[in-house]
Amino acid sequence: MIELHNVSKIFGDALAVDEISFSVPKGKFCALVGTSGCGKSTTLRMINRLTEHSSGDIILDGQAVGAYNPVQLRRRIGYVIQDTGLFPHWNVARNIGTVPRLLKWPASQIRGRVEELMQFLDLPSAEFAHKYPHQLSGGQAQRVGVARALAADPDILLMDEPFGALDPITREKLQSMLAKLQARLHKTVVLVTHDMDEALRLADHLVVMREGKIVQQGSPLALLQKPENGFVDSLLGGLERGLKQASLSRVRAHMTPLGPTLPAQSRIPDTYTLRQALSVMLRDHCERLTVVDKHDVPVGELSLRKLVKEAHAQPGERA
Amino acid sequence: MPLIDALPMRREHWARWRPNRVMLCLVVAMLAALWGLDVVSVAPNRIVESTGYPVWRALGWPGAGLATLLLAVMVGLAARPGRYSYPALLAVSCLLLLLLPFGLILASYWLIAPEMAQARLNIGPAYWTLLFMLSLCLVELRLRMHLARGWMLLILLAVLGAWWLCAAFWLERLALVQEFQARHEAFYRALGEHSALVGITVTVSVVLGIGIAMLIRRFSASQKIAFAVLNFLQTVPSLALFGLLLAPLAWLAARFDWLAALGVKGIGWTPALIALIAYSLLPMVRNTYVALEAVSPATLDAASGMGMRPAQRFWQVRVPLALPILLEGIRITTVQAVGLTAVAALIGAGGLGTFIFQGLGQAAMSMVLLGVLPIIAMALLADTVLGTLAEKLRRGEHASQGERA
Repeated sequence: MIELHNVSKIFGDALAVDEISFSVPKGKFCALVGTSGCGKSTTLRMINRLTEHSSGDIILDGQAVGAYNPVQLRRRIGYVIQDTGLFPHWNVARNIGTVPRLLKWPASQIRGRVEELMQFLDLPSAEFAHKYPHQLSGGQAQRVGVARALAADPDILLMDEPFGALDPITREKLQSMLAKLQARLHKTVVLVTHDMDEALRLADHLVVMREGKIVQQGSPLALLQKPENGFVDSLLGGLERGLKQASLSRVRAHMTPLGPTLPAQSRIPDTYTLRQALSVMLRDHCERLTVVDKHDVPVGELSLRKLVKEAHAQPGERA
Repeated sequence: MPLIDALPMRREHWARWRPNRVMLCLVVAMLAALWGLDVVSVAPNRIVESTGYPVWRALGWPGAGLATLLLAVMVGLAARPGRYSYPALLAVSCLLLLLLPFGLILASYWLIAPEMAQARLNIGPAYWTLLFMLSLCLVELRLRMHLARGWMLLILLAVLGAWWLCAAFWLERLALVQEFQARHEAFYRALGEHSALVGITVTVSVVLGIGIAMLIRRFSASQKIAFAVLNFLQTVPSLALFGLLLAPLAWLAARFDWLAALGVKGIGWTPALIALIAYSLLPMVRNTYVALEAVSPATLDAASGMGMRPAQRFWQVRVPLALPILLEGIRITTVQAVGLTAVAALIGAGGLGTFIFQGLGQAAMSMVLLGVLPIIAMALLADTVLGTLAEKLRRGEHASQGERA
C-alpha cells in the first residue's frame, strides 16, 4: 500500500511537484501519465527516496518513508528505469542477482532465484546467463531489467518509462508480458509513462499529471467516459476516445445469446476486445459477428446496433 | 578525348588500382635508405673517426640481394593488397626485424679482419632508418588487421629476445656491445635505479592522483584551481624544476637530522622523485577524474535504486567501469616517467640517463645508445603491456554502442 498526502517537491525555487495526493492499494497497478517534465518521474523517485520530498507525507505500508533507512527501503522495492541501467561490467545472471547479493542471500539460493526468474521472463538461462548487457537487444535487456527488479521478490515495483525506448512491436510484447506477470504476482506497481495506450492497457488506476499537479485520477474507464478537461481529453486521444474505451472491454461481456436468425458469417473469439470486434465489422462490411469460444464453437452474437445503444445506456464493465 | 584514354592501359584499370599507400611509401623509403645511405661504419679504435660502408660492402652481394628481395616482395604485396597480403606483409616485416642483427654479424665478418683487435662496428643511418620504418610498418599493419595489442607484445618480445641473443653471442665487434661489456655492472645498476625511480613515481602518483581526483569530485569548486596548479607544474621545464628543488631540500636536510638520515639531499633521488611525481600528477589526476565522471548516470542511478550504499556503489560500479580509462592514465604516466627519469641523471639520481650524459660528454655515440635503447625498450614495453591490459578490460565490459544484437 502506497499513500501520498499533499506531497510537494521544490528544486531550488522551482515547484516540481505541487501538493499531490493519491494512493495505490496493495496488489494494484497505478500509472502516472503526463507530458514530459510534468513531475511524474520525480514523484516516482520520491517513493524510494532517490529524491527526498519537500513537504507532505509518503506512507508505505502504514509507515512514513522518512522513517525507513533509505538503503533498506530501496532493497525491498523493485526499480526499473528506461535505459535499463544494467551494469555493463556484469553478465546477465550477476545483474539479476544484484539485490539478493546485497541482502546477503546464500549463493545457492541466489542461483536458484536467478534461474527461476530467467525462465519466468523467457530468457533461457543456458543462452543468456553469461551474456553481457551490450550483447542483448533492447527488449532482452529490459526483460533482464524487470527480472533484476523482481529478484528479491519485493511487494512494490516502481517503473520509470520502462518501455519508452523500445520499438512498437517489442514494446507491445513486453507490455503483455508485464500484464501476465501482474496477473500472477499481484505486486503493487507504480508505472510512469507518457504512452496513454500503455497506461490504459495495464493500469487499474490512472493519475494524470500536468505541471506538477494532478489534473485527474480514477479508473481508466472513468477517465475515458468523463475527462475533466481538454488536456485530459487530448491525452486520451480526443476523438478516438470511444475506440480506446472499446479496447478496454472484451467481446464476452457484450455478446447476446444466439438468436433464431441466421448466424453471421464473420466470427470473432470471445476473448478479443470490443475495439478489435469493431475493426472486424468495418473490414467485413457487416453489423453482426458470431462470437466463438476457444474451440471455435459459436457461443453468442455481437450486434453493432445493440452496442451503440448500450454505450449510451450504461457504462460497460471491464473484463 | 582526355589524355589518359589515349594510354594503352584502360582508364578503369587505373581506377581500380588501390595500393596501400602508407606501406608502399614506407617500403620505398626503406629501399632508398638501404641503397643510398651507409649501412654500417667501422672505426679502428674508440677514438678515431669511423668510415662508412654501403650495403654491398657491408652485407656482401648475397646479403644485399636478400634484403632487397624481401623489400621488393613487400612492394609487390603493398601494391595489390589482397586477402592474404596483410598477414604476408606482417610476416616479412617480422622476418626483416629478426634478420637485422644477423646483417650486423655479416658486416663484422666482411669488414673487420681478425687481427684488428681494437676495431669497432657502428650501426649506420640506413640501419636506423630501416628499424624506424619497420616499426611504422608494424603500426600500420596492426591497424589494418585489427590486431589486438597482445600480438604486438608478442612480436616485441620475440624481436628483443633475438637481438639480445645475437648481441650476447656473436656481436662482440659492435661498439654498443663493447660499451656494454666494459660497464655491464654499471649498466645493470643504472637499469635497476631507473626502474626503481619509475616504479616509485608511478606508485606514488597513482595513489596521490586517485586521492586528488576524488577530492576534486567532492569539492567541485576546487576543480579549476587544482587543474590550474597541475597544468602549471607541467609547464615548468624539467631541468629547472630539479634546480628549483635543490635549495629548499638542502635547507630541509640541514635543518632536520632525521631527513638527512633518510638520505634527503639537495641532489640525488629526493628532488628527482619529487619532480617526477609532480609531472606525473596531471595525467594521472585528469584521467582518474574523467574516468570516474564518465560512468553513465543511468547506471549509477540504477545502483542507488537497487539499494547499494554509496561505498558499495563506488567500489562495485563506479571503479570497475572507470578502470579502463584509469589504466590509460597509468600507461601515459609510466611512459612519461620512463623518459623523464633520464633527465634525473643530471642531478645525480642515477638511472640510464647517466650513460646518455657521459656519452654526450665524451662524444661517444655508442655509449649514448647504451642509455637510449633500453629507455626506448622500457617505454615500449610499459606502453604495450598496460595498453593490452586496458584493452582486455574494455572488451569484457565495454557497453559498445554499435554492437547491440
